[in-house]
Amino acid sequence: MSLQMIVNALVNAALIAPPAMAFSLLFGILRFPNFAIGGYITVGAFAAYTLNVPLGLPLPLAAAGAMTFTALVVWGAHVVVFRPMQGQSAITLLVVSIAVTLILENLIRLFFSADVRGFDIPLQRPWNVFGARITPEQVEIIVWSLVIGVMLHLLLAHTRIGRAMRAVADNPMLAAIRGVSAAHVTAFTTAICGALFGLTGVFAGLDLVIEPLVGWNLTIPIFAAAILGGIGSPYGAILGAILVGLAEEATILVLPSTYKIAVGFVIIAVLLLVRPQGLLGTAEIKK
Amino acid sequence: MSVYLVSMGTYVGFFMILALALNLQWGITGMVNFGIAGFYALGAYTSGLLTVRLGVPVGLAIPAACLAGLGLGAAVALLSVRLREDFLAIVTLGVGEMIRLIVLNEDQITEGPRGLRIEARPFGTMIAPEHYPLFYLGLVAACVLLAYAVCEAIRRAPMGRTLRAIREDDVVAAVLGKNVLLHRVRIFAVGGFFMGLAGALYAHYVQNISPEVFMPVVAMFIWMSVIVGGAGNNRGILLGAGAVMVFLEGTRFVGDFTDALDAEKMSALRIIGIGLLLIVTLRLRPRGLLPERKFNASSKLSA
Amino acid sequence: MTTLMTRRTLLASGVATLAAPSILRAQEGDIAIGSLTPNTGGGGPFGPNITASHKRVADAVNAAGGILGRQIRLYQENSETNPETAVRAADKLINVNQVLAIIGTWSSSVTLGIMPKCQSAGVIQMCTSSSSDIPVADEKGLVFNFQPLSPIWGRAIADLVLSRSIESYALMALNNDFTRSMMDGFIEKVGEDALVQKPFYYNAGQSSYRSEVTQLIEKAPEAVFIPSYVTDFTAVYKELYRQGYAGVVITTSLSTGDQFKEAVGAAGDGIIHGFPVPALNSPAYKQYLDEAGLEDTGSVQHPFGTAGRDQMSALLLAIEKAGTADRAAVARAVWDVTTGEGKTAVYNVADGLAALRAGEEINYSGASGSLEFDEEGMVLGRDFQLSEIRDGKDVVLQRLEY
Repeated sequence: MSLQMIVNALVNAALIAPPAMAFSLLFGILRFPNFAIGGYITVGAFAAYTLNVPLGLPLPLAAAGAMTFTALVVWGAHVVVFRPMQGQSAITLLVVSIAVTLILENLIRLFFSADVRGFDIPLQRPWNVFGARITPEQVEIIVWSLVIGVMLHLLLAHTRIGRAMRAVADNPMLAAIRGVSAAHVTAFTTAICGALFGLTGVFAGLDLVIEPLVGWNLTIPIFAAAILGGIGSPYGAILGAILVGLAEEATILVLPSTYKIAVGFVIIAVLLLVRPQGLLGTAEIKK
Repeated sequence: MSVYLVSMGTYVGFFMILALALNLQWGITGMVNFGIAGFYALGAYTSGLLTVRLGVPVGLAIPAACLAGLGLGAAVALLSVRLREDFLAIVTLGVGEMIRLIVLNEDQITEGPRGLRIEARPFGTMIAPEHYPLFYLGLVAACVLLAYAVCEAIRRAPMGRTLRAIREDDVVAAVLGKNVLLHRVRIFAVGGFFMGLAGALYAHYVQNISPEVFMPVVAMFIWMSVIVGGAGNNRGILLGAGAVMVFLEGTRFVGDFTDALDAEKMSALRIIGIGLLLIVTLRLRPRGLLPERKFNASSKLSA
Repeated sequence: MTTLMTRRTLLASGVATLAAPSILRAQEGDIAIGSLTPNTGGGGPFGPNITASHKRVADAVNAAGGILGRQIRLYQENSETNPETAVRAADKLINVNQVLAIIGTWSSSVTLGIMPKCQSAGVIQMCTSSSSDIPVADEKGLVFNFQPLSPIWGRAIADLVLSRSIESYALMALNNDFTRSMMDGFIEKVGEDALVQKPFYYNAGQSSYRSEVTQLIEKAPEAVFIPSYVTDFTAVYKELYRQGYAGVVITTSLSTGDQFKEAVGAAGDGIIHGFPVPALNSPAYKQYLDEAGLEDTGSVQHPFGTAGRDQMSALLLAIEKAGTADRAAVARAVWDVTTGEGKTAVYNVADGLAALRAGEEINYSGASGSLEFDEEGMVLGRDFQLSEIRDGKDVVLQRLEY
């Protein structure tokens, strides 16, 4: 495996680590694999596009706007769709979350059409580091991804709301007895996760293209990273993202590249069979 | 118009068989399967390829497709031993995608993205072309009835109670001495059998299949049928599949009324509408249109 | 009890939905035509142009009094670029709307997927697809393809590139029938020896294209050829640029339209792309730009929208020529109004109708090309053109008649 492939894997990982962390947090509270994240990421990408290109805001401002907007959308979806369905099984909620992605995707199609778009910033040529090539923008994405990981850790470990989030994720009943308001915690978590999905939309728009399916295409690698790292563990999500990135790069050495999209699935399947709690997760009794 | 209703009835039939099979797996036994499109593809390509490549008569190719589905179902069921249901959902989705990728990439056998033309049809030479659509509707309807009868028989039999017990709590069921794994493998295999059948019937009906037919969105429609109709209730499933198809195809006619929306906007609105149908149904009738009647599973088991 | 009510209401509403179209069916005397276009999915970036073209031509003809004194009733459906959906849409068009023809299908899997239904109902098909199976599967002479088959694209682009004395190539294609056979055609012309490594494919909708690009440029080829569509090519090209590739990038003009140029900006300069040109200088193309409200930028715009205009125009002219809406007669008349020498050349449907009504023989020359069909209904002789992007604009390098 060449140095370039390792760089490639790191950039992939930086792109999917933040949403994998967010997915993991969301899972901890809502307890089902939320396919709506594809729709949320797409919303983030188009929100940033609208602010950046037609409205002419600089990209960092547009990104902040997109994060706010996506946070509102995620919170809104929670209030309107998921909260009233709390009694439903995880699988029913999973199907509903796919429906939410379909709705968001097609709302975007309704207003923006399926054209491909890009942000209003020039593409960059790479630096050459020991024969591997990496662009300044990719370095920025990696740095941001790490910063987010550290910030999430600080939030979860050293703040009141963070401790409350973990308490609700570990045992909602016990948390309620100890006076933690699950409603506040959930609202806060959905907003944080929404912001992260919005940011992912921006990164994905920079890295790939802005189109209605951009979020859906990232969904399975994100799931793979979160599950690999162990649900509920932000550092695990980062590690998971790096391993998924490496595995995707390595595939092309042994299999035709057309099988690459299956890698995420295979990782999930193999790992879950061997170690269902993920690499850094703690064991949980099945069911 | 009547020709149209006949062919829509045929498509509803495919959906109904798939939905009944899923209901058996999930609604009754609690085993998740998001790889429906893969089972459907396996059935379609098994039967199609056997007739095209090896000249196997349709009468043998369709049962072979059912058996292929059966085998895949049994294999996937083994995964459920170690997987939580929400993760099993993702893994089965992966199984479905894997099958589609194999069909797409191994084009020396499957024709890959070029698509496979299938000439053979059941009794194709014996029935006049003008009567054929009606005959096929009858054939599919008979298969729906068969699937319904089998699913109902399983649900009503003593085994049905065991399955519901597994669904509600597999640990308790195991403690009570039920062989959970054996039941799961059997039921998943039977479900796979019918999904393979639906695939084969589809292939010989449309006579031209390609990997793009078997996208995961098919699984989504079947899941919607089961959830909207009422998981666990076989009659509800038939209603659900019918409702989803009426909604999917019925909304096409809205476009004929109005010029205000172009085809692109119209289709975006249709898909939004289908998503809303699911959400609204669940809000108004959380257990589906025809809910499963409540059983007191544990008391009957211990009795 | 409540369940019963629900079921009954639901059944009733279902029946009502299905029965409604009988009221709606084309009024007695209208000529029904179906348009089935890829407005979402893989063809999403192209379908809406085709839809709009069909409607524009039909509306214009209706405003001028219709064909054979009858109005055109256009039914538009979205194939979602998915044969599973498309078959049911075709079913509705054929059996409910009773259309004469289904025009505008784009991906081969959709065109071929609905073909058994169309053939058994005797419905004409007009498409822009590429699979060489199309003429084989068309047993009744009802299918017209408005786009050259894809191996021809590959050969033509290779011919145009060959004069540029490039020594080594690396190839990678989107994994579908169209782009794969284009790659085969290209290899046929440049020869296996010019390839630095085995060609390979990628899938649309990947979460990254980094490893594919790394592999593509690993052996430092002088040029890379990437048959693709715009969505995946945009992502692939961004990655090529970011990995510092400085050689020649060759692709089809499908992938390098205005959307692409806007998305990548100045980085797109230097890309070479080839395409069967909508005769850029032909009056039909200029008229198309007017009709669609576009500026003449000199580059290929609406590659499939032009074909959509030509499909509807050729079909309507053929109906007029046949003097009847009988499907088989109309299918035969399509050749009469598009193909053959020594006829009056017309560039739009209005002029064509006028000429036909004046008793002249016509040859419709379209916005997508001169539009001559061989006996299998496949379009013949489209010019290919190789362009280079310079300062965000297409500059024509070479043309080739095929």
